[in-house]
Amino acid sequence: MTSKNPQIRIAAQEVTRQFANGSGVFAADLKVHAGEIVALIGLNGAGKTTLMKLLLGMLKPDSGNVEINGRNISSMPAADWKVVGHVIEYPLAYPELTVRQNLQLVSRLRDSNDPHGTDVIIKELSLGMYADRGVRSLSLGNRQRVGLASALMHHPEVVVLDEPTNSLDPAGVIALRDALHRCVARGAGVLVSSHHLDEVSRLANRILVMNGGRIIGQLPPGEANLEHAFFELVRQDDEERNKS
Amino acid sequence: MRQAFIVEFSKLVRSRVGKIGATVLIAGVSLVCVAMYLGAHSGDPQVVAKLGSIDPTTWFGFFNMAIQVTGTGGLLGFGVVLAWQFAREFSDGTITGLFALPVSRMQIAFAKLAAFSLWATLVSILLVATLTLVAFGLQLSGDIGTGVFREFLLCLMSILVALPVALVATLGRSILAGVGAVIGLVVVAQIAVIMGAGGWYTLAAPALWAISEGEKASPLQLSLLFPVAGVFIVLTGWVWRTLQLDR
Repeated sequence: MTSKNPQIRIAAQEVTRQFANGSGVFAADLKVHAGEIVALIGLNGAGKTTLMKLLLGMLKPDSGNVEINGRNISSMPAADWKVVGHVIEYPLAYPELTVRQNLQLVSRLRDSNDPHGTDVIIKELSLGMYADRGVRSLSLGNRQRVGLASALMHHPEVVVLDEPTNSLDPAGVIALRDALHRCVARGAGVLVSSHHLDEVSRLANRILVMNGGRIIGQLPPGEANLEHAFFELVRQDDEERNKS
Repeated sequence: MRQAFIVEFSKLVRSRVGKIGATVLIAGVSLVCVAMYLGAHSGDPQVVAKLGSIDPTTWFGFFNMAIQVTGTGGLLGFGVVLAWQFAREFSDGTITGLFALPVSRMQIAFAKLAAFSLWATLVSILLVATLTLVAFGLQLSGDIGTGVFREFLLCLMSILVALPVALVATLGRSILAGVGAVIGLVVVAQIAVIMGAGGWYTLAAPALWAISEGEKASPLQLSLLFPVAGVFIVLTGWVWRTLQLDR
């Protein structure tokens, strides 16, 4: 099955990748449309980061397909990754460089043609007072902001962020939320993983729940008792898997 | 590729490792040579005995000593910097940011090797220039001879000799693995020389050639360095191209 609809930014079809210890991601189906934010939530080890790595070509699936903007990533030329911005596990921020130097170098790697991109994202993520400071001297939260800035500065159509609010202070969370809303307003499709259910509830259009490497269901954002609904879904899935 | 090269060269020259590596190599080799010169000049019998037939008060002896130090020290210095350059992406976690880019990972690996080669060439030029200035300052006796030329060529060939370290650092995903490879290269070279296979052990041939003024390593043996380095360049590019973050 292939999705030629350009409005589908990310499509995963029956994606499976199993590691030697038995863990992994199993038969994951996922679509992220243009103009929507999809959140992946799950307990530690649920497979969120592994799924994101599969979507970005950091891992090859044992079976299944991944498409970005309708193109299968296994045969996609490198140039087509230009539309993607991502942060997985660690921000792309080199300690020996200043914030501005980092962003300028990443702009080169992302083949960005926007001459003002660095200045704009520095302002949007409130990095102005740190712009000429070495990343080595920044707090974890500000390093995370630099990583997010390098993922978003080139106006990507596809955004994949793994635990983006980790280490961010409340001001950083709000700045990120605003930046992501600007992304979707431009037509980007955004996939984020998070442990912060309240934050996810405010941010996402759809919430997917992962457990044991599988996408086990969906929760409506804005639900009053999201935490309870999440744990109930996970408990039911654990029970069903224990039975089989 | 051009963009990746600019990025990798900027990272290397602005890094502490790049700066310290360059300083240690240039100052280290020069200071050892000056120390040996002063020892020999003062007539210290212990230093004179250690130097054997080398007389560091002459241009020939001074640069032969520099060549001996560079043969091991240059490879160690270049190798450690190269190991860091590749392995740091894994230890710093920045490797995830090098996926899903319009620049392929193979291009990034080649850009890293090109940036390292340029950096090491600049360090080599500065090292030879420093040694030459020091030699003039010490008012060494005799003709300048081929020592400066052999020292410079040894430095350049040491860049090629160090290239396998990039592959090992990538496969091991740690700086320690890369540093281990550097030490391994040095140790195996010593054993190969002792066993009499030095010239045919391609990675030891440049030092042997420079020290023996070309007697113990033929042009054919030296020329094998290029295909061997080429194989390691291709292998490193291939490993980066097929890289998966599965551990």
